[in-house]
Amino acid sequence: MIQLFRVSKEYGRYRHALMDVTCTIERGEFVFLTGPSGAGKSTFLKLLFRDEPPTSGQILVNGRNIGVLPASQVPYFRRTVGVVFQDFKLIRRKTVFENIAFVQNVLGLPRSEQKRRAYQVLKRVGLHHQMNAFPNELSGGEQQRVAIARAIVNEPTLLLADEPTGNLDPVLSEEIMRLFAEINIRGTTVLVATHDFELIRRMGKRVLSLERGRIRETPLRLDAGPAAVREAPFLPLG
Amino acid sequence: MALKSRYVFGEAWSIARSGARETLLAIGLIALSLYVPALFALVSKNLGRLSAGGESPAAVITLDPGADRWGLARKAAVDPRVREVRIVSSEAALARFRLAYPDLGAALTNLNETPFPPTIEIRLRRSAARGAGPAIASAAREWPGVESAEAEEDFGSRFADAIRIVRGAGLLLGGVLALAAILSVASAIRLALDLHRDEIEIMRLMGATEMAVRAPFWLHAAAEGLAGGALALALLYGTYRLGLTLLARSPHPVLAVFWVSFLGWREVVLLPLLGCAAGFLGSVISLTRNR
Repeated sequence: MIQLFRVSKEYGRYRHALMDVTCTIERGEFVFLTGPSGAGKSTFLKLLFRDEPPTSGQILVNGRNIGVLPASQVPYFRRTVGVVFQDFKLIRRKTVFENIAFVQNVLGLPRSEQKRRAYQVLKRVGLHHQMNAFPNELSGGEQQRVAIARAIVNEPTLLLADEPTGNLDPVLSEEIMRLFAEINIRGTTVLVATHDFELIRRMGKRVLSLERGRIRETPLRLDAGPAAVREAPFLPLG
Repeated sequence: MALKSRYVFGEAWSIARSGARETLLAIGLIALSLYVPALFALVSKNLGRLSAGGESPAAVITLDPGADRWGLARKAAVDPRVREVRIVSSEAALARFRLAYPDLGAALTNLNETPFPPTIEIRLRRSAARGAGPAIASAAREWPGVESAEAEEDFGSRFADAIRIVRGAGLLLGGVLALAAILSVASAIRLALDLHRDEIEIMRLMGATEMAVRAPFWLHAAAEGLAGGALALALLYGTYRLGLTLLARSPHPVLAVFWVSFLGWREVVLLPLLGCAAGFLGSVISLTRNR
């Protein structure tokens, strides 16, 4: 599904966001990406949905080397990947329905079909009664659920989430994680970047740790106990 | 893949509606930017009309109503310095006035008698010596049936020169103002688009092609420019009508000459199109920088 081979990303000559990263994420996996602030989590995700190209190395997503993807092909690639952001990134002038159906609207799908799909995904996140609301009329948790609905409306094979619970309280965070787990059960590969170790521990999934741009895979899943959670980002490769 | 027009128009309308105040502000700025050079074009056009009357006569002989026009004209034509003699009847003078001053000419419609006496216009050969015009006018004053005779040789050439200079300066200044207007329109559009920078980024992240991101903004900006140009035109026409009304109430010898006819249909069409093009250009520049 996702393969990174010796991937590096530099901003200027002296800022190395990612260094020589090599890892694989299998189809249908649920993986957490963790690490302290500035470790390179967001950069890692940006490379995966081609918000930025790598400085060196190869990134294969569904068998395509997206590092060398021509700019004209990037929008089409992005439609196959669902992305959820910490700040939701909803378009304020659009309703919930319009935000979710944006790409389908660009593609010229009939409005009835757009509505049917939007209703389906909103029902999955429990917001089907808010189709015509504007983002500023919703709570933070609801906005994030709309963002998740938008991310999965095109039935992507890969869902990326960058600190999706960063602006939410623990109860809402749990709810969002449950949604991700449900999406994963249906076959979508899910990669969530977070530094909420408590959440990671409770979910009991595979964890990739980033520290100063280098990846360190934890030898065990972080479901052993709180102590292991605290140590996880600093564990060396086994 | 070609974009659906429903998407482009729908998005453009949504952009305009979401920032109604900014849209109105941009239209107002565009209208003001285009109004100033358009006003200049209006004055310049009227000046041009004054200088475009062709070669002015060296002498004009005003006749009594019952004078023998043809006899006097033939008498004038005998002079070897004279190239052309033209008889201008009262009716022809009135028609000429109406052609030159279409709006003021209508005011003379209800008169029983024509207000212009018949005249003879004399134009000289290039070889004629300086002062020939006044000499001919002086001689003509002695002829029977002549009410008056004036030499316009020097005044005519000086007036034509002055008009040419003023019009040249006007065109130059008008060109500078038009360029400034286009840049102002582009700036107004750029400012408006800056408000949508975040959503442009989101649209790109969601997988919208560059065309899908830009086309609605191009359309929105072009429509703003078109509306601004139309508003500038309306303001200009309002100013023109107001000027005419004020001049009718208290006629002014100079302003009445410069404020006679409105822009032609070409200029009328050009103004909104100029706004539309400037709006489109502004959005293209802005979105290219936004990439």
